[in-house]
Amino acid sequence: MSRRRVEEVALVAWSVLLAAVTLGPALAPGALELRDMVWVPDLRLSGDALGFGSGLPRAVPSDAVVAVLDEAVRGELLQRLVLFCGLAGGGLGVARLLGPAAATVARFAAVTLYVWNAWVLERLLMGQWPVLVGCAVLPWVVLGTRDWAGRRRLSPFLLVLLPLGSLSASAGLVTAVGLLLSLHDAGRRRLGGALLLVVAANAPWIASGLLHAADATSDPRAAEVFALHREGGVPAPLAALTLGGIWNADVVPLERTGLLGWAALVVLCGLAAAGAGVWWRRTSSPLRTALVGCWCVGAGLALLTWAAPGVVGWAAAHVPGAGVIRDGARPLVLCAPLLAVLVGSGVELVLRRLQGPPRVVLAVAAVLLPVALLPSLAWGAGGSLRPTTLPAAYAEARDLLADGQGDVLLLPLSSYRAPVWNGGRPVLDPLARYLARDPGSSVVASDVLVVDGVPLAGEDPRVASAAGALAATSPELRARGLAAIGIGAVVTDLAAPGAERAPAVAGDVLLDGTGPSEGLRVVSLHHVQVREVPIAWVVVMGLAWVLFLALPVGSVALVAVRRGAWWRGRRPPRRGVRERPRDV
Amino acid sequence: MGTVITTFVSMLVGGAVAAVTVVGVVNSQTTAPDKTPVSVNAPAIDYGSTN
Repeated sequence: MSRRRVEEVALVAWSVLLAAVTLGPALAPGALELRDMVWVPDLRLSGDALGFGSGLPRAVPSDAVVAVLDEAVRGELLQRLVLFCGLAGGGLGVARLLGPAAATVARFAAVTLYVWNAWVLERLLMGQWPVLVGCAVLPWVVLGTRDWAGRRRLSPFLLVLLPLGSLSASAGLVTAVGLLLSLHDAGRRRLGGALLLVVAANAPWIASGLLHAADATSDPRAAEVFALHREGGVPAPLAALTLGGIWNADVVPLERTGLLGWAALVVLCGLAAAGAGVWWRRTSSPLRTALVGCWCVGAGLALLTWAAPGVVGWAAAHVPGAGVIRDGARPLVLCAPLLAVLVGSGVELVLRRLQGPPRVVLAVAAVLLPVALLPSLAWGAGGSLRPTTLPAAYAEARDLLADGQGDVLLLPLSSYRAPVWNGGRPVLDPLARYLARDPGSSVVASDVLVVDGVPLAGEDPRVASAAGALAATSPELRARGLAAIGIGAVVTDLAAPGAERAPAVAGDVLLDGTGPSEGLRVVSLHHVQVREVPIAWVVVMGLAWVLFLALPVGSVALVAVRRGAWWRGRRPPRRGVRERPRDV
Repeated sequence: MGTVITTFVSMLVGGAVAAVTVVGVVNSQTTAPDKTPVSVNAPAIDYGSTN
């Protein structure tokens, strides 16, 4: 086996080990639920997943993709594969970005930093798995696009990467920036083709967002709340240099707020500055432009939320969809590839003059440096990511509502839960996904976010309609009002804060919250005026899904065509027929 | 002489990084959270906090 091959195998092993140590207990069987990360057994392809729901398409197309794939692979296993392969795959991609001229230690150090950094830790704890997949895909998108620009042949791999990296609006934007900046020198025609690919990969959430354009503006106060924040004593712009600065102090590890946060800033930025020259000289100009461009866009967006939250808030309140940039630290993923390759190059430069045991010792230390600077990420972020068991009542409620009419309303009207079965860890109400039924139905749940005890307004107009109906004076009037807006069942989580104040609704009580179904009250309503999805919406979303699916299907077709051509080229000539020399 | 100093310094740096890694990882796994995630008496669960 060649030295290069051994190095590749070792890099794979290192990436796998890092992913395993990062996730730790999260890899055990069970339901893994934390904040925005909600995976349920056998997720159904509901109206919400397809973009027909009344709320903004926050889980489009991720939920639909999961709903389809978990028919083939068990949901729990699929979730672990996504997280594990996402972490390990991203690291391997960034190692390739360094190119063959880079030293082994540079590649290992870059892999460690790309997998083990503040952004990954904070997004894991936020449960934002589609953006983690986007992070993993980003280096590969850059590599695949440069390959397209250089060889003038579109890689089938890129056609799979694009939808994979566009499982949510913000992930899709990151992937689009990576693709377009990597193709800046390829001419108008190819840039036009790339734009079409970007539109296709992001079509589901764009189309659904346009259909919801009237409600797609968000609370301007959220821009200030979700802006880039300081981490303890480290000011926001400096925290951003090492990929930190998330708004949510609950997910910022203690070490980022103290001396170790400053140490991370000095050491990582110092190594990056030291390695900049080496990396610049041995990297092709287009790749340099792509990575530096990504860094500028990511840092620019993050700093904009910090420096001018008022502008971002105004845009979110007046421009439909502009709220997607309000989470200030999220676009910092665009800075991660450049930081990782620069730090890797810096490590190489520092070690270049050393030989023998000192070089080995320092090389190991340099590769482990990101772990030393952020120990909280180890073992499922200190145990925060650990599986649990969903209550049996959830499955019972789903069975009872399987043939019901209309949509399901979740009470109390609050979006997050901190159930005892989840160890008190906050999670977006899992019932919204657990009770999803079919493309014709939706689950209506509050989309109000409470930060520091202050509610930030949601966007779903049906939540306000449901709240209006619930304000009626009697259970019968409430049931009538809800049925009139298409609600066919009301499910109350009796363990949630505020459940005791949830208003009673008249109807058939399918579960009363006692016995085996402890914790849930399910009431089925009468005379439901089922909400019809407008035919125009079906047509628009149908086209969007066709565009989205065209990418993986096109990838398979491209492989088949090229394989066919390859085999035809290799087939031995028929007897008596001389083979025509192939064009070079 | 230079080699001896280099070896000593690299051992020192390597040892320090190793020690910080081990202590940090062990500490992060064993220390109780500085605040409980949520209060069951709260009227609504916070999505997060900014301070």
